Amino acid sequence: MVTVRMEELTKYFKKGKNIVKAVDHITYKISDGIAFGILGPSGHGKTTLLRLIAGLEVPTDGYIYFDDEPMSAPGKIVVEPERRNVAMVFQNWALYPPNMTVYDNIAFPLKMAKMSKHEIDKRVREIAEELELTRVLNHYPKEISGGQMQRTALARALVKNPRILLLDEPFSNLDAALRDSARALVRRIQKERKLTTMIVSHDPADIFSIADAAGVIINGKFAQIGNPADIYNTPATTLIATLSGDINLLSAKVVEDTALIANLKIPLNKGLISDNEAIIGLRPDEMKLLTEPQDIRGFIDIGRVRVKVSSYTLGVFRIVVSPISDDNINIIVVSDEPIEPGREVHLLIKPDKIKIFNKEEKLIYPELKNIVTA
Amino acid sequence: MVITIVRHDSWRLQIKHGAASAPILLPPTQFSTEAYYFDWVGFGTLIGLEFPMIRQLLITVPVALASVILGSMGAYFFYMQMERRPWVSNVGFSIISLATFLPAQTLTVPLIELTSSLGIYQTYWGGLAFAYFIFYLPMSALLMSIFLPVVPNYLIESARLDGARDWSIFWHVIFPLILPGFLSTLIFVFLMVWQDFFTPLIIATRPSLYMLPVAARQYVGGYAILYNRSFAAGVITSLVPLIVFAFLGRYFIRGLAALGGGAKGV
Repeated sequence: MVTVRMEELTKYFKKGKNIVKAVDHITYKISDGIAFGILGPSGHGKTTLLRLIAGLEVPTDGYIYFDDEPMSAPGKIVVEPERRNVAMVFQNWALYPPNMTVYDNIAFPLKMAKMSKHEIDKRVREIAEELELTRVLNHYPKEISGGQMQRTALARALVKNPRILLLDEPFSNLDAALRDSARALVRRIQKERKLTTMIVSHDPADIFSIADAAGVIINGKFAQIGNPADIYNTPATTLIATLSGDINLLSAKVVEDTALIANLKIPLNKGLISDNEAIIGLRPDEMKLLTEPQDIRGFIDIGRVRVKVSSYTLGVFRIVVSPISDDNINIIVVSDEPIEPGREVHLLIKPDKIKIFNKEEKLIYPELKNIVTA
Repeated sequence: MVITIVRHDSWRLQIKHGAASAPILLPPTQFSTEAYYFDWVGFGTLIGLEFPMIRQLLITVPVALASVILGSMGAYFFYMQMERRPWVSNVGFSIISLATFLPAQTLTVPLIELTSSLGIYQTYWGGLAFAYFIFYLPMSALLMSIFLPVVPNYLIESARLDGARDWSIFWHVIFPLILPGFLSTLIFVFLMVWQDFFTPLIIATRPSLYMLPVAARQYVGGYAILYNRSFAAGVITSLVPLIVFAFLGRYFIRGLAALGGGAKGV
């Protein structure tokens, strides 16, 4: 519906004598109809950025524009939040208690816009139909399930046809089983309405399922911006790598173009790393465990490991293994089947997916696809 | 005629009886509502408690209600200023606290001066209500400001994003949540206004304007103490607070309980 433009956007908070730079000179444009995801550790400015866009925080410096209309300027709010037509779904959904039913909650923004009773009723029933809330319209928020509460919050946000939809950790209070359907719903609605959306989450799954583009905020600055898959595959630093998904970060010695992690050997291209230390990043889903040595296309065998424990989460087995010669190193591998602890198996990796970071935890050669000699 | 004379005689008898203090350690030997009747209708220069009671009810209910409503709104205003204009909020709450904790006696002369210059000294709706507001509006605001932080900030923000202005936010979102606190404060302020002796004593000194606590004082002391009549006046005066507390006491407690995580699970 609208393009969001941030220019040198800055927000400092005073905490006693310290100044916390929650958002630090961010300049970025979110194009019309795009879903933009924001990842980042907690306390690094994700939510503050969202609140600045909503107009709930006054920027210390910098500007916010919706299309070409200025919304916030240094030290002042140009357009008050109630006039911005921005919808926000809060982490705890912020449903109005205790006297308002689901119907009243959804109707609230329309009532505030002084719409006629007939029109309000029509629009509330339409959105309730779409989000499967028709049966609970007359219930109070405390009487309905978490999923229904989340959909009520979403319905209340959408019913007023907002220019921008802001989602602040919208799924973190939902059961894991409900999250995927909630994500799919948000994704579908966002695409159908071509709604400019910003979603903040610490869970990369939210970003991958909804966002067309994503940024990682660290210390109030975008540390990396790109499409979610690029951030997942070529994270600029080890911190971004952990934020964008599960990853095993293993410190390795580099001797004669081979990275050594205890008894595991990863052959590298000649002259790739001049240093004798590196951090190897291996995602659990980009490895395989085999009981017998075997050649599998796209994988290379890097050595033998011992299984410590097998666990089961969300449809996959997660197996913790250690190199045979060093019990203190833990590597998590995703597997189709459980393997009994104590057993020795072969660890295979996808050479084109391996991430190598230098001592300063920065990614080395992000542009190179083949850094391993296959 | 006969009846009048008989009645007249009976009053004389009572006056004679009441000429000296009744012995306190000698409990009455038989049940009698005589003292209540005497206090209620009055005699001679003694004003009966009937009209002061009606007057008291007529003014206490609206004054308490208006103070708490306006006080809540004032508290909300200053509470909302806390983030953007902290000095407004600080100055506001300082004035409110000062007005609450200042002893009423220190304001005797200024209050009489002010009401006189406004032409409302010795008036019921003007002077008395005005004086009550001066004391109880800040107290209500202070008490309500304790309950306001119970309302989670995100609800207020969510309402603002939904296009609500302060008036709608207050009545639709905040008021239902602070209702226990509101009732609690209302009951408290009602009782405070009811038992306020000093304000009506200096503002409404004309016998035709006597408020209940002032009128009740007529029956205490003078030259002699009639314990049965003094205590009857005390009972009559405290009837309404007793009824209020008996029937609304649970709201009072509920309001206090709301302070400890009343907004939990909303």
